[in-house]
Amino acid sequence: MRLRTIALNTFGLFLRDRLLIIFGMVFLCVVLLMTTPLLVMKSQTTTSNMLNMQACVLQTVSMMMFMVSGAGSLLAAWAAADGLVSEMKSGTILAVMARPVKRWEFLLGKYLGVLLLMAFYVVMMFLLSLLLARMGGQKIPVATWPLLLLYPMVRYAIYAAIAMAIATLLHPVFTWAVTLLLGVLAAMAVPRGPHVTNPLRWLESGLYYLLPSTHFLSEDRFLVIKHASLRQASWLEHLTTLAYGMDYAAVMLLVAVWSFHYRSLKRD
Amino acid sequence: MTAPAIEFREVTKTYRKKLGGQEVPALTHVSFTVSQGEICAFIGPNGAGKTTSINILMGFLYADWGHVRVLAYEPGDVRAKSRIGFVPENFAFYKHLKAETLLRFHAKLAGVEQIKTSGLIRDLVTKVKLNGYEKLKIGRYSRGMVQRLGIAQALLADPDLLVLDEPTSGLDPSGRKEVRDLIFELKTAGKTIFLSSHILSEVEQICDQAIIINRGRVMHAGTMTQLLAAGDQVEILADRLTDELEVVLREWGASVERSAQGVRITVATGRKREAAERLWLAGCDVISLRPMKGSLEDFYMKVVGSGEVA
Repeated sequence: MRLRTIALNTFGLFLRDRLLIIFGMVFLCVVLLMTTPLLVMKSQTTTSNMLNMQACVLQTVSMMMFMVSGAGSLLAAWAAADGLVSEMKSGTILAVMARPVKRWEFLLGKYLGVLLLMAFYVVMMFLLSLLLARMGGQKIPVATWPLLLLYPMVRYAIYAAIAMAIATLLHPVFTWAVTLLLGVLAAMAVPRGPHVTNPLRWLESGLYYLLPSTHFLSEDRFLVIKHASLRQASWLEHLTTLAYGMDYAAVMLLVAVWSFHYRSLKRD
Repeated sequence: MTAPAIEFREVTKTYRKKLGGQEVPALTHVSFTVSQGEICAFIGPNGAGKTTSINILMGFLYADWGHVRVLAYEPGDVRAKSRIGFVPENFAFYKHLKAETLLRFHAKLAGVEQIKTSGLIRDLVTKVKLNGYEKLKIGRYSRGMVQRLGIAQALLADPDLLVLDEPTSGLDPSGRKEVRDLIFELKTAGKTIFLSSHILSEVEQICDQAIIINRGRVMHAGTMTQLLAAGDQVEILADRLTDELEVVLREWGASVERSAQGVRITVATGRKREAAERLWLAGCDVISLRPMKGSLEDFYMKVVGSGEVA
């Protein structure tokens, strides 16, 4: 009950956050701009340019997924860091923590609030992708829907947890920057064979195992956009991949809870 | 024997600045107890350690050393917090919420049964005189209204212990009186109140006990009766006073005020008998002679000024 109350309140706070509203508006503008060529082509569709049209739709949907993925991770990191730190800065945390609320309950409630925001974001982007595909006469197979929803959510759960853990120690701007850096490093890191001699390669390999593997958690592994089709993968493969992501998020969240437990809650 | 509502024993807290900055001692071996059902004032100048103590008491900060118990539990224990009502200094709030929504949010956190919430909120809003404003966004409230709302949220779960950090700051005189009356009402209901305030006249009127803290050390802890009985002057009312005797009295350090009703002489307790006899011998009528109660302000200034630890 308390978790739900804190999570819903956090979600409500996000929907009124000026910075997040600006982010949403900018994002919407970019998406609308991206649809312009699609609409132009749609109005001039003939049998001859049907293939161009298909390519354009697929490209737009692909870019949309890229944006959902990249911008969403940054949004999750920012929301998690700001959601926690703004309560401490304003002092609203004092009245909340004076209630019979445990510290971990407060943190988990805030985290669930971030996940609610991200679920809202993912669903919006997903609906927009469906709409774009429909406009271009394409169909995103129903079997891919859970993947398009679940994979981004797991990535956001990880980035939100990382940001929350860092935010218990640092200012939200630094938190965001560090999370961004970690995200970039995670995208760059690739696994290497067991016999690595070059120290840089060794470091890269180490980072691959230490940081959350965004490539591993990307729906692109299963969804081949240029053919709008799915690579066959067993449910077990999906489950283990998602479990890896959830496990990483859980570990980071535990780090955040531990760090928050020992933190002073005085007004910053 | 019931456990004290609040117990601080040898509590020490030092703020450590980041990146090798200097250490700032906030509390040094602070010890005091507050019994259940008492109204205890926690007073001291700015930076004395009042808010640090309250933050430790509420479990927001951890003490470096010492023993703290609140309602027989460790600070921050949810069993204790479910029986505490807290008004932080400059109560911060979610500006976009209406008072009713905020109180509903806090009621949920406090575990108040949903069925009782509406009635309870109505009563509290009336009690703190915010009726008619409950549908207004808190961002549009005046400071005094926010403070009243803070008091209302503290009373939501019918707490046994109220921790009030500057509850009357931002209130006008009538608002202050209303809060005072509310505190008296809560005392009658058997609640324990731990009150930090700078308004000494107010503290003097409502508190049973006072703890004076300065530079992180308890300078005095005792009952208000003990504290105020510590006056060392008497007030003599006489019908008249000769000029010669006035000179003598002034030499003794007495103060003399003449009015249409007579003369009011304030003299040191050690000189009271001598002064009364001189007046009598000079043919003046002594109407009354009574010991003057010390004021909390005088006592506070003396204690804080001297730096002497109790």
